[in-house]
Order: sequence, then C-alpha cells, then structure tokens
Amino acid sequence: MSQSKTTVSRKRLTDLLDPKFMARLDSLDVLSRKILQGKLQGERRSKRRGQSVEFADHRPYVAGDDLRFVDWNIYGRLDQLFLKLFLEEQDLTVHVAMDASASMSFGEPSKELFIKKLAAALAYISLVNNNRVTISAFADGVQAQLANMRGRNYLPQMAEMLLTLGSEGLSHFESSARQIAAGRIGSGIMIVLSDFLFKEGFDTGLRRLMARQYDLYVIQVVSAQELSPELSGDLKLVDIEDADAAEITVSGALLKYYKRTLTAYCNELKDFCTRRGATYVLVNSADSVESLVLNYLRRIRLLR
Amino acid sequence: MEWLTPLTALYAAAAAVPVLLLLYFLKLKRREQLVSCTLLWKRAVQDLQVNAPFQRIRRNILLLLQLLMLAAVLLALGGPLLSRIAAPGRRFVLLIDRSASMSAADVKPTRLDDAKKQAELFVQSVGAQALFSLGAKSDLVMVIAFDDHPKVMCNFTSDKRQLVAAIEAIMAGHGGSSLAEAVVVARAFAQSPGLEPDSRTTQEPARLVLFSDGRIPDLKNIVVASDELVFNCTGRSADNIAVTAMQARRTYESPDEINVFATLINYGYEQAACDVQLSLNTDVRAVRSVTIPPRSSDSGPDANEPGKVALNFTLSHADAAVIEVRQLQPDALSCDDAAWAVVSPPRRLSVLLVTAGNIVLESGLRASPLAKLDVRSPAQFDAMDHAALSVDQPYDVIVLDNHVPGSLPKCRYLIFGRPPAGSDVAVAEQVENQVIVDWRPKHAVLQYVNLTNLFAAKSFRMTPPRDAEVLAEFNETPALVLVRRQGSTFLIAGFDVLQTNWPFEPGFVLFCYNAVSFLGTEAGQKYQTNLQVGEPIVVDGLTPGATARISGPYLPGTEVTATPAGSIRFSGDDRVGLYSVAVPDQPLRMFAVNLLDASESDIKPVGEIVMSGQIVQARQQPVSRANLPLWPWLVGLALALACLEWLVYNKKVRI
Repeated sequence: MSQSKTTVSRKRLTDLLDPKFMARLDSLDVLSRKILQGKLQGERRSKRRGQSVEFADHRPYVAGDDLRFVDWNIYGRLDQLFLKLFLEEQDLTVHVAMDASASMSFGEPSKELFIKKLAAALAYISLVNNNRVTISAFADGVQAQLANMRGRNYLPQMAEMLLTLGSEGLSHFESSARQIAAGRIGSGIMIVLSDFLFKEGFDTGLRRLMARQYDLYVIQVVSAQELSPELSGDLKLVDIEDADAAEITVSGALLKYYKRTLTAYCNELKDFCTRRGATYVLVNSADSVESLVLNYLRRIRLLR
Repeated sequence: MEWLTPLTALYAAAAAVPVLLLLYFLKLKRREQLVSCTLLWKRAVQDLQVNAPFQRIRRNILLLLQLLMLAAVLLALGGPLLSRIAAPGRRFVLLIDRSASMSAADVKPTRLDDAKKQAELFVQSVGAQALFSLGAKSDLVMVIAFDDHPKVMCNFTSDKRQLVAAIEAIMAGHGGSSLAEAVVVARAFAQSPGLEPDSRTTQEPARLVLFSDGRIPDLKNIVVASDELVFNCTGRSADNIAVTAMQARRTYESPDEINVFATLINYGYEQAACDVQLSLNTDVRAVRSVTIPPRSSDSGPDANEPGKVALNFTLSHADAAVIEVRQLQPDALSCDDAAWAVVSPPRRLSVLLVTAGNIVLESGLRASPLAKLDVRSPAQFDAMDHAALSVDQPYDVIVLDNHVPGSLPKCRYLIFGRPPAGSDVAVAEQVENQVIVDWRPKHAVLQYVNLTNLFAAKSFRMTPPRDAEVLAEFNETPALVLVRRQGSTFLIAGFDVLQTNWPFEPGFVLFCYNAVSFLGTEAGQKYQTNLQVGEPIVVDGLTPGATARISGPYLPGTEVTATPAGSIRFSGDDRVGLYSVAVPDQPLRMFAVNLLDASESDIKPVGEIVMSGQIVQARQQPVSRANLPLWPWLVGLALALACLEWLVYNKKVRI
C-alpha cells in the first residue's frame, strides 16, 4: 500500500523535477550564513555548545551543572572542578514560503510552475540533507503548509502538496507573513518565492519575516511578459486578482515609463532586502530552474 | 481666388466638424487585457502624465491632423478657383466651327480637336450650380456646332457633363462656314426658355464664344454688340495645296473624249511643287508635276492672293467614268487634296414624235444628234401597247404635239399644247397674245436659248402644282413647266409651236436639243452627279416607295425610301468623296461630292475677324490658362495629412 503510494508520488515529483536534475541536487546542501541553533542534533555546527564530540572549551563548575560533563582529569591535577564544553552539531530549519495567489498563474511560461519547481528543488535538497523543512503556500493568508518534514520519506508528500496546489485568490502578504512568522520555530533559512507585486506593499510583510535567527532569501519571480510587455492599442488592463482596471493607450513613451517603473520597483525591493541583511534575487520565469539552482544559488552561497 | 460652391462646403463643414469632435469626446472602446497586476501600469501612466506637461496636446495631435484633413476636404468641396473668367449666373453660347478648314492638322491632332479642348476647358471653368445653394445662380452654357448650317448640340444647361458630352459629339465636317445662321439660332434660343427651371429668358443677352480659325466668309452679315462675342482662334499654319476647281465633260464634237479641267491653289508663302494624279475609275491615267507659285506678299490689289495653276487633261473613254484629280503632296488639310467628277456615258437618244403633222417640230428634232426619231400620228400612238411602252421603254423621250392621249405610259414627255391630265397641271381657257416676261436661262433646258422675242398668239392658261418648276412665264400664264409625276417627267409648253414666232428663232432648235437631252439623260444628270459638300443627293424617276441604299465615305450604307413622287433626297453627304446610290434592278448611280471652295481651303488662321462694323480680336491667351481649379491640390493635401496621421499614430503605438 505504502509502496504503491510512494510510486505514484514519485512519479509526480518527476513531473516537477527532472531525475537527472535530482541526481545533481543530491550533492548539494543548504548553507546558512549564520550557524543557527537547531532543535535536534543535525549535521552542522551550532554556536550552541552542547553534546557533541567536538571539544570547545572549559569553564568553572557551578552548582547545578551536570556532573557528567565535569572534566575529572583536570580535577585530579588541579583539584578544581571544571566543566567540558562541546560544540553541538544541530539541524537547520529551511522554510520555503511560496506565493500561491492568482497572479502567479500569469506569464508564459507561468510563474506558478517556475516557483513550484524552485520550491521542489530547494525542499528536495533540504530533505535529502536531513534538515527540517517547512513549505508554506500563501495568498490571502497561508493556504497550505507542510511543516517540520525531515528526511527523504517526506519527498512524496512534498511533491503531492506542490502539485495539488492551485494559484487563486487575492494576495495579502502582510497577514500571510504574520501567520508564517508566528508558526515558525527554531532557526534557519527563510526563502520567500513571489513576484512581490503587492498592492499594499512588501515592506511590512518582509519586516515580519525578518528575525535574528533566520536567514532571509527573497526570490522575486517575474514573467517575461511583465518585463517587456508586448501590448498595443487602446487597452483596458484588468487585474487578474481583484479585477481592478487600468485604461491605457499603449505608446512608446508609456512602455518606456512602465519599464522604468518596474526597474525602480525591483530596485526598491532589492535595497530593502540588502539594507536588512536579506538576500535578493530577481528571476525571469522563462529562465531555467536548473541553471538557477546549480549555478546562481550556489554563487550567492544559499547552496553549496 | 473665388469659390464655385462655397455653400456646399459650409453645409458639409457644419455637419462634419461637430461629428469629428464628438467622436473625440466619446470614450474609446478599449480591448480588455488580463495582467498579473495593474500596480506598475498605473504608476507608469501616472509617471507619464506627471513627467510630460504637453501630454494633452501631444495626444491630440491626431485630432489636430484630422481637423486639418477635414478642412482640406471641405475647402476642396468649396471648389476654389485661382481666377475666373466670368461672374456667375451668366449665359454663354459656344459656337464651334466644324467646317472643312477646321480639319486642318497644323494643330495636332486637328484644329477642331483643339477648339473642342478649349471649349471643354471653358465649360469646366464656368460657375456650377452649388449643391443645396439657395441664392447663387449657376452659369448656363449652350453649344452650337456650325459649318454651312448650325447644329444645336446642347441647349442652355449648367450640367457640365452634358455639355462636355455635347462638345465631344461634334464631328468634323467638310462643308463651308456660315456663322450668321448660327448666331441667329443662338439668339433665338437665348430668348426662349431654357432647360433650367429658373430660366432667365431675356434678362440679359447671352455671350457668344466663338471657337474657330476665323475663315468665315459671311462675317460681314453679322452684327454683334461690342462685347457680345469672344473669339478664340485656333490654327497656326497657312500651308495648304488645294484642288479648288475641277470639271470633266465630253466634247460636243467627239463624245468619246473627256476633257478634265482642274485648278490648284497654293496657300502657303513658299513655292510648292507637287504631283497631280489623274485617275479614271480608280486606275491612275496620268501623273503630272506642277510648281505652284507662293501666296503673293506684295501690297496692291492682289495682295495675299494665293498662287494658282490650271491643269488640263484629255482622256478617251466611251463609258461612264468616275474621274479623280488628286494632288499628292501631304499638307495640313486633306479633304481638299482631291476632287471627283462623274461623267455619264455618251448617249444617243430615241425619240417618238406624236403629231398630226408638224414639219417645224420634226425638223427641229431631226437637227439634234439622235439615234432614232419615229413619227406617229395621234391615232397610231393611241393604238400602241402603252403597257409595253412603260415596261420596255423603247423611247427615251416622247414628244406630244397637240395631243392629249387617254393614258400615258411611264416615260419622259415634251408636250406642246394642252397639258395631259396625268401631269396634274390644271388648264383653264386659252389666252391670247402672250409675250415672255421671264425665264430661267441657267436651267439646262434653256441653256443658250434666248426667249426675249417669243410671242404666242394663243396659249393655254396653266396652273402648275406646287412642286412644279416654272422655267418660263408669259405675261398671263406659265409658258414652260417641268413636272414630275409617278415616274414620268413632263416638260410642258402650253402652246402650239405653229401659233408662235418661235420656229423663226434660232433658239428653237437649241431648245429642242436641250429639252430632249435633258429629259433623255434623266433630268440633267450632269448637274446633279457633281455636288458640293452639303448639297443634297437627289434621284428622281424611281418607283414610289422604292428603297435606295446610299454609301459613301464614313457612310457604310443608309437606306432611303423614295417619296410618292418617285424621288429621293439625301443630305447626309457632309464629307467629300464618292457616294453611290444603289436601287434594286437599276444600275449603280455615282455622285461626286467635292469641297471645291477656295475660301474654305484657305486655312490661314485669322487673328481678328471683321464683323459688320465691329472688329473682334482673337483672344491672346488660350482658354486653358483662364483659371485653375484648386480642389485637386486640396484633396492631395488631405491625402498627405491622412498619411502623416497614420505615421504619427503608428509612432505612438509602436516604438
């Protein structure tokens, strides 16, 4: 029973990720710029000293310390009680927050597919490396969440969640961010995948996701049609989410101003992130996920 | 600059400009397009509006261009002209000369075509009726073409298409020019209501616009007011060699010989050498080179007299013949390069004299060169088979001397005494002591006959029918009457020869000869087979109702039916050349139609025409420069603006 379900699910994961690509992902791991405290002993160093094989330091014994960590050899030589301190290896939480609002279905190829592929690749790397993985899909609040997955066993579940996820509804980033921030535990990496075209603005939402113990990666996915629109004539532009209309007469000047506005918007987001220690990445949905993951994300040291 | 139809443009502007503006006030129907987020677009539009202070003006450059284009179209609709040759609401009569001299090709293609072109330009330049116009009256134009006779091509109208069609329909003729009749017709039409509903009949005299080369002989008979007539002269050259006279006839002594006389005139100012070709029934018989002196340029009585050469040919031909004299040098006018003559065969006549005994008449007839002269008494004549006489026609002429037979076979009669009933000449009582008061010495019957001393002791008082020709008159009654009735021809002398002094006159024998020849050769064929252009072709002596087929140059074949009197008249011979009249069961009759008009062949254009007491100078400028319609330029401008608008629109929409 479980075997057949896995087969079906695996098949479905391959819908998102090419097997060859997955094979190359196996050699990657998620890297945190801060060494963050995990809940379980993971496969990475933590700042927190604890139970580990790697010696860190000694400190004088104070009443109440665990007697198991007293360095009895020192006590024998110096007749003083010292405690051995070890560097503890802890696990890392990778939180992928992906936009699932209706606007993601826009573009050719659609931003939705791109984001799902990217999320699948990141989750895959994290699960394979025994990290704690949480995937949240948000639109007008958190729409779906798979929390605290660890290990390869969760791959089918993750794939199923991604593949059944639709893009619909308004986007309300601030409330979604609040929910995500409230629900996360421990420390790790927060990766936000969205187009960040939020009418209420991205700053409050992002500010909520920033925290001392989380590395924030902001990946903005924009379609080619948004980067250089091929429109002409007198148009009534209808917002795919809230049906808001904008009447325009497409002209060379207007297109110039649109591109200028888009660039300014992206730069604003980038500045916002840089100033607060987050990493900003702008991606075109027409680009390949593979080269993004294998090259670019390694270059910015999200992966190694 | 003036406007032909300003009101039309105003009405159109009143309708079109608000509609265009309204179109701009209406909201555009925009195409819907889904986007992921309108946020950036709204910001871009905002930026665009904020950063471009002249945006409204720039957006409306399309409106501006469209308004300009509309203005150009509306102005074109107004029919602007750079200058006008006449104020609107006047009437013009275009008199277009289509005489032979207008066929001259010194102006390409011909003078007539040039005149027609000028006339069309004139028509295009007069004021037209404005659409919806209430007050402005349009010009009215009438077209008359004239040669010997005027022909109304189009009555007064302002319909330019109709006028141009009428001008186009004018065909070149080969006749002479006679303007007087045309002017009379023009004035008559000008005083009668025209086709237009608001006919301005006699309010103002119509202006006459003459398109001609000025070679009009009857100008002296025309009286025009000082500014009534405008003369547009066409033609450049005077170079023309013409056959202006030609005659062919058999000599009296030897009837087989034909003498041909021709006169050639050189109207040019240089001596001309040309070959003259004589053809007989289309076979060339002789070609003679002649040199014709130029038009004299000295002052004096013969100033401007063209050079002349007379030619004389002699041919021997015993049959009917068509003789053509043609000069072979190409020149401007071709219709006077040749002349034709139809010569009838020499013929000896058979004559029947019906008399109780008249030695005078018998010897008078015997003096003529006849083939046969039979003398019968009245009783013998009455006993003859009259039906056979009608059908077989054994006699060319029957002479009745004081005999009125019961029935008359179809023939040609010379009658002395009481006219027979079949001739329709009513007879009253006899009158006495008649002297001649008048006669027609130029008629073939009375050629060389002097009747001055003719006295008749007794004569019948005759009342001839209306169509009879009276050749001589006594003081109380016609003396000689020519009547054609039911295929017969009667030459009636209403008296007995023996009761006159005529037998003692030398003219009596000549009369007998003339009368018999005239009647025998079918009423003086010699005079009727050689015609001038426009003279009707007349054939007599046909069966009433018979159909004759007439062919000629530019005339493929026209059916003409004989009148109850047995004659046909055809006046469609307005081109020079040979015409043939084919009547079933009869030999083909040939007619030569010649120009032979020295004044018409003189094609030297005339710069000023001298009317009766009025000199009219030819207009110096051709009509074409009189005014320039501007609407094509405006339409072109509108087109250019439309292209510019398209470009601007495209530049706005695409990069």
